[in-house]
Amino acid sequence: MTVFSLGYGTNGFSNHRLDDALAVIADLGYTGVALTLDHDHLDPFADDLTRQVEHVSSRLSALGLNRVVIETGARYLLDPWRKHSPTLLSDDPALRIDFLARALRIAGDLGADCVSFWSGVSTVDNDVAWTRLRDGVAAVLEHATRLNVRLAMEPEPGHLVQHLSQVLDLREELGEPELFGVTLDVGHCVAVEPVDAAECVRLAGPLLWNVQLDDMVQGVHEHLEFGDGQLDLPATLTALAEIGYTGLAAVELPRHSHAAPDTARRAFTALTAAMPESWLDKAESRIREKPSVVGSLFPAVGREVGRAALRPATDPQGLVHGTVDDRARVRLVRVLADVLDSSALAAELRDLYRYGDDAERRGVLRGLNSLESPAAEVVGTGVQLVQDALRANDIRLVAAAMGAFARFLDDHAWRHGVLKCVFVGVPLAAVAELETRVDDELRRMLADFADERRAAGREVPADALSLLKEGH
Amino acid sequence: MRIFDPHIHMSSRTTDDYEAMYAAGVRALVEPAFWLGQPRTSVGSYTDYFDALIGWERFRAAQFGIRHHCTIALNPKEANDPRCREVLDVLPRYLAKDGVVAVGEVGYDSMTKEEDEVFARQLAMALEHDLPVMVHTPHRDKLEGTKRTLDVVREAGIAPERVIVDHLNEVTVKLVKDSGAWMGFSIYPDTKMDEHRMVEILRQYGLDNMIVNSAADWGRSDPLKTAKTGQAMLDGGFTEADVDKVLWQNPVDFYDQSGRLTLDPLPGFTGEAVTFEGNSVLRGARK
Repeated sequence: MTVFSLGYGTNGFSNHRLDDALAVIADLGYTGVALTLDHDHLDPFADDLTRQVEHVSSRLSALGLNRVVIETGARYLLDPWRKHSPTLLSDDPALRIDFLARALRIAGDLGADCVSFWSGVSTVDNDVAWTRLRDGVAAVLEHATRLNVRLAMEPEPGHLVQHLSQVLDLREELGEPELFGVTLDVGHCVAVEPVDAAECVRLAGPLLWNVQLDDMVQGVHEHLEFGDGQLDLPATLTALAEIGYTGLAAVELPRHSHAAPDTARRAFTALTAAMPESWLDKAESRIREKPSVVGSLFPAVGREVGRAALRPATDPQGLVHGTVDDRARVRLVRVLADVLDSSALAAELRDLYRYGDDAERRGVLRGLNSLESPAAEVVGTGVQLVQDALRANDIRLVAAAMGAFARFLDDHAWRHGVLKCVFVGVPLAAVAELETRVDDELRRMLADFADERRAAGREVPADALSLLKEGH
Repeated sequence: MRIFDPHIHMSSRTTDDYEAMYAAGVRALVEPAFWLGQPRTSVGSYTDYFDALIGWERFRAAQFGIRHHCTIALNPKEANDPRCREVLDVLPRYLAKDGVVAVGEVGYDSMTKEEDEVFARQLAMALEHDLPVMVHTPHRDKLEGTKRTLDVVREAGIAPERVIVDHLNEVTVKLVKDSGAWMGFSIYPDTKMDEHRMVEILRQYGLDNMIVNSAADWGRSDPLKTAKTGQAMLDGGFTEADVDKVLWQNPVDFYDQSGRLTLDPLPGFTGEAVTFEGNSVLRGARK
């Protein structure tokens, strides 16, 4: 069973040589490391950087520290007078961008999961700050794209971007770049987020690429050892397991370097005591052993993992992005796809749908959407299920039916599916491949629909109108 | 006034009812599986009905800010029809579903041998699925039917606090109270029980384990009878807290034994019992 890796942040070992720090971290049982590039820890401006990176790389693999992320929050690294200056929000952010570019290169060389970074504190007008941030992130993303290394932005209390929702919004604003994800410090969630850390984990979902672990009390940005604050550690770790997080979760105690080994030992004890074997993990194992148990596990998913929308702010009903239980069921469907041959898979999906309640049917449909290249038999059954869902009036079923699997619908059925979405109030963002598949006939249907609405003095959904405009 | 209607057949009701119920304070309900007036003739029509209870009706209720749950069973009336009895074989699939909070309505209609068998089998399923039981008492020969019901439940080994015996009246209430089971009262416009008689019963027997429902269906009935009973309680000198106990806390406590209640507010609705007009988010989107 793949779960996330526990690690420790080297910024909590700043009084150790990096080699020694890595050895202690590994000896305590951690299997990963969050490596803060710092003066004496792989200084990205050092002349012999290449040699140092090679050395650290072999050190990591020798110690079995297999999960690595690169952290970029070192103090006074770029300016001996001002702690974190310059940032992406500064008048001249060039040095910060250069530093992040170097970090990306090191991450690539070490095979790290991602480079973690934050926005910085704004000292300028809000609009100016946001413009600078967007420009700065775009510039860093160019480097990331060139190197094919992921960037994970961390909301940091007191910074311009201090809430998870702001990172997610920024990502949307930037056009959802593939290489842009989220770093989440679970202590920060306690300090400043409107919901608890477990819920933040679920909200970040598949965009969560890096996790920092520490305790905190509400309203106070002070990194504490586990148990000294208000974090629900077991619930947070369980949420990580339930979203299928497989990256690094590393302890972040940057002000405990004076007693690093003991602190790290206590943290590891607390973590291992709180580590879950989540219900979903167990369900996955059981299905691998005996696929038919999915019939009794599938209905229980909502009770076990929750039912909240994944992006409640913009998609409260989960029509576009789905819900927590949708995502868990997708995972179970993918396990089935892994262990069953195509005719058994088709039969199982048909039964799960036939005897499923509203949520289970949605789970089957979204599971179909997640299959990259389903066999002919699965396609045949899946199309029947999608057609059944498109006859329903439950808008969550209609939305799920128009996802990626709808590529197997013929043009006529697909167009009517799109029209039904508009008709019942499903946002067209739920329709996969809309821009590439829309044709003149669909535009005619939508135009007629719009005329009918206008004749009745009723509004026409904006997303339908914009699709019509694109056709002119 | 927040209301949990623990027995109402919404499949037979209109969207006007949903709106009026929300406005009156109904935030959650249980729809027990029962017969539809027109007898069913096959298992297929049964499973379509169950599918609606765990699918379409749940969605319909959600659009009006109301959490919908259901109970699943072969009802005593149709237990006498061999064409319907095969539905017992598919019940386990449905008893595993989210939002299925009890096995029910089970019990007696005409107290036949077939009803006996079907009742016993379904009590065994309740034990197996760790679900409470919702028992319907017969409209005719009610006292005798209620006695026999309690005997059968006891013999099946089901703890009395996991059983609600419904459609009670002045004649049957004491028997059920003494058994330790929960007591359900269906408040009707002019038959089973009315709100003023109900207030008298509450005075006499106390509020513990007392559950009031509208049992509204396709017959002459009123989905607001729960709210009206609450008002009658207040008029009769009971406190707001008393009303909350009977109309919300008691049914929640009973059905929460299933572990499958969902009571958090639906997206676009607050948990407060505010006016419907304040919560028109979904309606705007669905026009």
